[in-house]
Amino acid sequence: MEYLVLAAVAGLAAVERKGFLQAMLSRPIALAPLAGWALGDVRGGLLVAPPLELFWLGAVNLGAALPVHEALGTSAIVGGAVLAARALGSAVTPDVALLAVLCCAPLALAGRRADRLVEMVNERLDASAVRALASGRTAAAVRFNVYGLALPFLVAAVLAPLGAALAALLIPAVLAALPTAAEPLRHGFFAFAALACASGAKALRARAAPGLFYGALGAAVAVALAVALSRRLAA
Amino acid sequence: MSVPEIPRRTLVRVFWRCLFLQAAWNRRGMQNLGFAYAIEPALRRLYPDPARRVEALARHLGFFNCHPYMAAAIVGGAIHHERRVAAGLEPPSAPLQYKATLQGPLAALGDGFFWTALRPFFGALAAVGSLLLGWPAIVVALTVYNVIHLWLRIGLFRAGYDGGDAIVGRIARLGLPMAADRLRRGGAALCGLAAAAVVLRGAADEGLAAGAVAALAAAAGYLALARGARLLPAAYVAALLAVAAAALAGRLQGGL
Repeated sequence: MEYLVLAAVAGLAAVERKGFLQAMLSRPIALAPLAGWALGDVRGGLLVAPPLELFWLGAVNLGAALPVHEALGTSAIVGGAVLAARALGSAVTPDVALLAVLCCAPLALAGRRADRLVEMVNERLDASAVRALASGRTAAAVRFNVYGLALPFLVAAVLAPLGAALAALLIPAVLAALPTAAEPLRHGFFAFAALACASGAKALRARAAPGLFYGALGAAVAVALAVALSRRLAA
Repeated sequence: MSVPEIPRRTLVRVFWRCLFLQAAWNRRGMQNLGFAYAIEPALRRLYPDPARRVEALARHLGFFNCHPYMAAAIVGGAIHHERRVAAGLEPPSAPLQYKATLQGPLAALGDGFFWTALRPFFGALAAVGSLLLGWPAIVVALTVYNVIHLWLRIGLFRAGYDGGDAIVGRIARLGLPMAADRLRRGGAALCGLAAAAVVLRGAADEGLAAGAVAALAAAAGYLALARGARLLPAAYVAALLAVAAAALAGRLQGGL
C-alpha cells in the first residue's frame, strides 16, 4: 500500500513539474513533506526538504535543455528514508536520510533520460494530432495534448517506488552491518546539507553571489557564536 | 464587420487549458500541441464553419515555444488577432506573426525572471524558513509565490487578449529584469543563511565537529562548484569525506 501511495505522489509530482500548472508543488521543498505526510512521517519529509530544495535549486527547464528530474529523486529519497526508518523501528534520522540520498539521488539523472524518451513519444502524439486535424476532427486533434501527461506519470510512478524499495532494503542492512557508522553518517548529512546550500547559491547565477553567500554564512555563524558565548559568560 | 467578442466562460476555459501548455512537449513542435489545445475553445467560438476552424487550428499547430507563464500573454494576444481575422480586418497570417515575434523575447524574459530568479528565491526562502521556523514557513512562501505567479499569469493573458501588440509596453513597464537581479542577490544571501542554520544545527545536535565539517563543506563546496565540479559527485565526495573524518575522529578518540 505504501508503495502505491508513493507511486501516486511521485506520478502526480512528475505531471505538475512540467505538464500541468508548475506551481512549485513538485519542488523538493513542497514534495518532500507531502510525500512524508502521505507515507505517515511528515517530519522525515521536512528533514530532507530544505537540503534537497537547495541542492536542486538550479534544476530548471530552460528552453529545450532538460534538467535533472528533481521530483523523481525527491520522491524516491523520501520514500526510501521513511520506509527504511520504519523497518528499523524509528522515525527518519539524519543518518538514514543521508543513506537514502546516496542511494536514490542518481534517479534524478535517470529521470532526465526518461524525459528524453517522453519527448520522442510526444512527437508521435504530435503526428497523430496533425493526422486527426487533416481529417477534420479538431477536438480529437487537440486532445492528444492531454495524453502527453500519461507517460511522465507512469515513469515516476514506477521508478520512485523502485528506488525507495532498494533504499528500504539496503539502509537497514548497512546500519546493521556497521552499527558504529550512525554517528559519522549524521555528520555526513550535515555536510551534504551544507553543500546543498552552496549549490543553491551557485545556481542563482548572481555576480555578487559568492560575497553574499560567504558574507551571510559568516555573519550568521558569528552572531550565533557571540550570542552563545555571551550567554555562557552571563551564566 | 464588427470584431466578435469571446464569452468570459470560454476565456476562463482557454486560461485553464493554458496550464497544460507543456503536457505534450516535443522536439519537433515544442509547445505546439499545448498551444492548439489552449486556443481551441476560442477558435470554436470564432469559426462556426468547420473548414475555417480546421484552417485556424492548423495555424496554431505549428512550432511554438515560450516560457509557460509568459505564454499566457501570447495565447491571449493570438485570440485578440484571431477575432480580427474572423471579422476580416486582418489576414490569417497576423496571429502567426504575433506569435513568431513575441515567443523568443518573452521566453527569455520568463526564463530570466521566473525560472532563474523568482522561483529559486522562494525556494531558498522556504528552505531557510523551514530550517528556522518549520513547515508553516513553507506554506507561506509557496502561497506568496503562487499569488505572484498566478496574478502575473492571469494579468498577462487578459492584457494580451485586450491589447494584442500593446502587451509589449505593459510587460516592459513591469521591470522584470531589474527585479530578477535583486531576487537573485537575495536568494544567494538566503542560501548563506541556510548554510549557517545547517552549521549551527549540526553543532547543536552532533557537537562542534559536525558544525565545523558542515562549515567546511559549505565553503569548499561553493568554490568547487564555481570551478566546474559536477553537483552529484561533489555531494558524494562531501558526504563521504565527512563520514570518513567523523569515523576517524571517533576511532582516535576511542583509542586515547
